[in-house]
Amino acid sequence: MAMSDKMPSAVRIALVGHTNTGKTSLMRTLTRDGRFGEVSSRPSTTRHVEGARLIADNEALVELYDTPGMEDPVALLEQIDALVDAARQSGESLDGPASIARFLELPEAEGRFEQEAKVLRQMLASDAGLFVVDARDPVLAKHRDELALLGRCARPLLPILNFVRDPEANEPAWRDALARLGLHAVIRFDTVAPERDGERVLYGKLATLLDAYRPAFEKLIASREREALARRGAGVHLIAEMLIDVAACRLRVEADASELASAIEGVNQRVRSREQACVDALLSLYRFGRDDVETGLLPLIEGRWEDDLFNPETLRTMGVKLGGGAAAGAAAGLGLDLMVGGLSLGVATAIGALAGGGWQTLRHYGDRLRGKLAGHQELTVDDAILRLLALRALDLLSALEARGHAAMTPFKQAAEASADWREGLLPPSIASARAHPEWSGLFGTMALEPEREAVVGALATELGKLGAAGA
Amino acid sequence: MKQIPDHSPDRFERRWLAESIRLLEAGRGPLADADAVRASRRAGGEFEDRVLVRALVLGEREGLLDALRDWRGFERLGLLIVALLALLSGFGMALGVLGDGTRPVNVVWALGGLLGLHLFGLLIWLIGMSLGGRDAGGLLGKGWQWLARRLARSASSILLGRARTDFLASAGLNRWALAAVTHLVWLLALLGAFVGMVLLFMLRGYQFTWETTILSGDFFAGLVAGLGWLPGMLGLEVPDVQTVQASGVGIVASEDARRAWAQWLLGCVLVYGVVPRGLLWAGCQTWFRRKRAALTLDLGLPGYLVLSDRLMPASERIGVTDPDHSASARGSSRQTHLPGVGAPTIVGIELRPERAWPPAIASGVIDGGRVDDRLQRKDALARLAAMPPARLLLACDARLSPDRGSLGLIGEMSACAADCRIWLVDGAAPDNARLGHWMEGLAGLGFEPGQIISGEEQALKWLAHGDE
Repeated sequence: MAMSDKMPSAVRIALVGHTNTGKTSLMRTLTRDGRFGEVSSRPSTTRHVEGARLIADNEALVELYDTPGMEDPVALLEQIDALVDAARQSGESLDGPASIARFLELPEAEGRFEQEAKVLRQMLASDAGLFVVDARDPVLAKHRDELALLGRCARPLLPILNFVRDPEANEPAWRDALARLGLHAVIRFDTVAPERDGERVLYGKLATLLDAYRPAFEKLIASREREALARRGAGVHLIAEMLIDVAACRLRVEADASELASAIEGVNQRVRSREQACVDALLSLYRFGRDDVETGLLPLIEGRWEDDLFNPETLRTMGVKLGGGAAAGAAAGLGLDLMVGGLSLGVATAIGALAGGGWQTLRHYGDRLRGKLAGHQELTVDDAILRLLALRALDLLSALEARGHAAMTPFKQAAEASADWREGLLPPSIASARAHPEWSGLFGTMALEPEREAVVGALATELGKLGAAGA
Repeated sequence: MKQIPDHSPDRFERRWLAESIRLLEAGRGPLADADAVRASRRAGGEFEDRVLVRALVLGEREGLLDALRDWRGFERLGLLIVALLALLSGFGMALGVLGDGTRPVNVVWALGGLLGLHLFGLLIWLIGMSLGGRDAGGLLGKGWQWLARRLARSASSILLGRARTDFLASAGLNRWALAAVTHLVWLLALLGAFVGMVLLFMLRGYQFTWETTILSGDFFAGLVAGLGWLPGMLGLEVPDVQTVQASGVGIVASEDARRAWAQWLLGCVLVYGVVPRGLLWAGCQTWFRRKRAALTLDLGLPGYLVLSDRLMPASERIGVTDPDHSASARGSSRQTHLPGVGAPTIVGIELRPERAWPPAIASGVIDGGRVDDRLQRKDALARLAAMPPARLLLACDARLSPDRGSLGLIGEMSACAADCRIWLVDGAAPDNARLGHWMEGLAGLGFEPGQIISGEEQALKWLAHGDE
């Protein structure tokens, strides 16, 4: 588009490597474009060169080119060596790039070695190359020949070790082999689930290799970090919204048993779908489509949690203790907040709520008093369920931030940071939401008051601190 | 982009529209926005600009843009009604305070009637503002908002109203807007009173007096002089001490005295009523407008962030720069096999260094060695060509991806033997997706599934004895 005409000087990087090492996956991760190219476990999926520009703050900073995998480097290197020898016999000395250029003029570059020719041509047209390695592979002669060929292009080359977390990864062997070829700057980068600061390290290393383009890489790093921070803020905001919605929910029911049971099930259902809405919003915030490859790595099944929210076992595995209400028989997880219990919240809570909420709170207590006289009971969602909702959502958020890899060890990351949510005091915003049934969007009619927004904001800040500590 | 109709919304109104769209999407789920996103990307600019363009296109389609124009009309209508009421009630106030002229006007009482409520309201407003209260916008402003809400009954209008209130409140601007309206209403009311007084003073004859039970005449003289000092600076007449003293004793019939009292009253209403309210109105209005123009969307909200990828992608595709010309060039060339008679041979192709070699082969079987680099390939091929074996077993690592180079080597080697089988080392490992790729690649070379073996024992048995 128009942008490209203004920016002729974007740094060009070629993604090269043996066939089936994850070049297109890396491309997708770096471009944030989950539909780029075609990815499969099959070798030589990509058979053309396709490019994309990385944009930050409206500026195209880097051009990335996805290339076909090299498949027959041994034979190609032999051919190019033969070219060099032939030239030497006729008294001409070809250096690396010249020998590659000579090869590219041969008919073989259009025939047998078409794929390799595309790689070399792109390499010559680029400022640097990222050599993607499947660290599970042994270091073979063909890989060495590949590196020799790329070396002849005389462009800086940054090896990227993919799949390093796999138990079969041969990281030391690869590092040793690369060091022997003079490639000491090597980075680990899982193309599907990179580590939290993987991109930062990658661009930082590229900035060192290509000093002239350092400002562009720094801009890119800064922009991507800003974006990650903003995304995280939005994520905790979504979680806070859900928690306030659920905490504020208060349903008055008749005291007889059958009505109570159906009301409990009704609320449970609403809470479930509210959680699902939050999950969906988080997924779309982090660009996970339900059919994405990466989504399979999340602690979800087809975009849904595996364990039901109201199964006591789920609570137990998350380390949440059952609260009074739930323990008293409402295994469904709804605490029975009887009128008396509500009033016994204590004077302090009532005064606090009054200070924050004005006359509506008064009316609220008045209504409850009337309800008591009419023989009604009130349902609220138990603290244990709130804790579970918070823990699960935070866990999903950290899995999403790491684009999946945290999912290998579910519930571990949040473990230390979220002890508060497991058994400590719940934040004061939850208590104030409890006193404002009109803040709950669970039954569709929610009052979007500034007070509610303020409480959601406060809770989001609290959650944000938590998640950051877990990072 | 769609044409923007006249009365196109200003910057604030476009942001307001974007907020409304955000609220709408929060409640109803995402709108179908493919064309809006296209328009927004075409327009370019910063993220906020793009959000605004998208909101404009969606707002037009969802009827929110029309509702916004209606809203503008309702607001004006509401303001007009309130303004008329204010003018009339100001006029009525003047009428009520001055009476019909049959009884002398108690000047201090009249002044209190004209300015008292206004000054009291002003005091309350100032206290509210200094305490930073959210509701310190003034009752009159709220009345105007209430009126505008009453007029706007459609769902779109209600949505717009909520979005506007929330948006302005997020920057604490609501109270300034309400304050501006409150001051404007008071300004109009006091102007009404002022005009009413002028008319009444022109057309009716009033006598002025003051009364007291315990205060001295000097006190009133001082009060009148003090209050009249500022209007006096503007050139308005102020009753002198004798007039004041005389007015306290009985009716003063002098024309000068009456004019002085009338001017003093008018001056006080002007200086202590109309002018401060006018200044406050102008101040609040300017402040509000300036702040409102600087008010930007909170782009960190989830509703906006989810748009960032589509409106402002982190990358743009360049497209294919070097297309694939090979129309699936990997031909399946069935090899012609040499009539081999040599001893059975085993060769390891690109095996992991940690794998022990050779395996436990029977006597009489030749170990062709590991083949990896160029020299090893050449040597192995030369040896096989020199003495083609009757049976050749090629051991390949099933965990590697089969590539054209390896398959080519396998093809060349298998051509040098009367019978060739492939032993896929570690091919029995569960969920090895690459095993299937090997099968496909080898089938392309003309290998039957039966010629591919994944068990070591079975492979070595075939090598030693052939098919039995």
